Amino acid sequence: MADHKNVIIRIKRQADPESRPHWEEFELAWKPGMNVISSLMDIATNPVTRGGTKTTPITYDSNCLEEVCGSCAMLINNRARMACSALVDQLEQPIKLEPFSKFPVIRDLSVDRSVLFENLKAVKAWVPIDGTYDLGSGPRLSMEDQEQAYPLSRCISCCCCMEACPQFNESTGFVGAATISQVHLFNTHPTGRALRRERLAALMGDGGIQECGYAQNCVEVCPKDIPLTRSIAQVGGEVIKQAIGDLFRK
Amino acid sequence: MATTAGPAAPTQGKGVAPLRAGQGHSFLLRRLHSLTGIIPIGAFLVEHFFSNFVATQGPSAYTKQVALLAGLPFVFFLELCFIWIPIAFHGLYGFYIWYRGETNVGDYPWMGNWMYAAQRWTGAIAFFYMGYHVWHLRFYGVHILSEPAAAFPKVQMEFQHPWILAFYAIAVVAASWHFAYGLWLFAAKWGITSGDNARRKWGYACLAIALIFIAAGVATMYAFLRTPLQPMPSAAHSAVLRS
Repeated sequence: MADHKNVIIRIKRQADPESRPHWEEFELAWKPGMNVISSLMDIATNPVTRGGTKTTPITYDSNCLEEVCGSCAMLINNRARMACSALVDQLEQPIKLEPFSKFPVIRDLSVDRSVLFENLKAVKAWVPIDGTYDLGSGPRLSMEDQEQAYPLSRCISCCCCMEACPQFNESTGFVGAATISQVHLFNTHPTGRALRRERLAALMGDGGIQECGYAQNCVEVCPKDIPLTRSIAQVGGEVIKQAIGDLFRK
Repeated sequence: MATTAGPAAPTQGKGVAPLRAGQGHSFLLRRLHSLTGIIPIGAFLVEHFFSNFVATQGPSAYTKQVALLAGLPFVFFLELCFIWIPIAFHGLYGFYIWYRGETNVGDYPWMGNWMYAAQRWTGAIAFFYMGYHVWHLRFYGVHILSEPAAAFPKVQMEFQHPWILAFYAIAVVAASWHFAYGLWLFAAKWGITSGDNARRKWGYACLAIALIFIAAGVATMYAFLRTPLQPMPSAAHSAVLRS
């Protein structure tokens, strides 16, 4: 516990996508219950480094401040997690803040995570309900199916699972756990099932589910406790069944 | 909609590429890599550990086992198709997989991540060991397929060097571990153990398999060390045996 001591924060900063990163250190007055986001807000009110140099406020993504929007993911003491739920009292000091290492930096702690959006589009992670006439209400989901689906629907697209994955990198172009889990969610949905085969086929492409090495960091870092390794195993089984079936069907 | 509607992101084209649906052959190669680890390589490993374990029954039993294997029809064809080509593919593609991964146990020191790293290291140890092992016992010196009685003393001669003995012991552990965790990975990746409970229980079973293999390997090595050095049969002697 950092009782009445000051809080030291080291932040890796970068002015724009092209410039070289550098470190700045800040010292803040300790407050009860402070978290990483509130610390960044404190820096913004008085952007002066520990050495007394005036600087600019830190750029970072955030929105809800209660771990449901998925914006404020960053590396805190080398680990991918949400800044809003990272309590200063539980962190080793000096607290080290860095942008995600596997996503292009836009500025400071803000990164471009559009690769997840592209991946979700590639697997058609939606329920197809567009038509030229009223399709009526969808089929009912059993209580059991709802209980399976709900945890998967809690994904906040923070990309922590991808950042922590040893297989997610520029060499493999692995799709990552979040997208695979969304495939499972929409493939088990009674209306979403319509695109089941297309989604599984998409996951056989380069960077698909086969790149998973089962290091299981995804499920450890997931702030929403999504059973990602279960999704990967289930979708992995579906993909291989379809691949073998296609050998005979096609 | 950064790519279609809004202005292009300043970072476009950088970072990890999105999924390439419908492109490439990595799915086939990765799944083939996974499958060859079980069949035929895993199956061969079981046979190999079993055959060598016969050494605990003494040199004559071991000679009979070697003669049985050497007497299989199309031995060279069997070796080529079910041992050498699969191991070469599995090993070399395995190094390629390792090269493309970014091991990060320093920052994420969890069990699964350690196992991920260990699977790469044990695979590499087993691969380099097999290169030495095949060269030294299969191709170099006495040809044991045509002289089965020479197999026992040949292994005993190997074990006379403490460094070689240590290399064998390390490789037995590495190969056993790599195979057992490979079984666990196969079940998870092919959707056989999709439930968390099933994966945990199969994990204990695989740990037991690893320990059984290591124990069998150690017992086999001990059998070669315990037995007094067997005389190498002379060419004339073995010619008599064969006729």
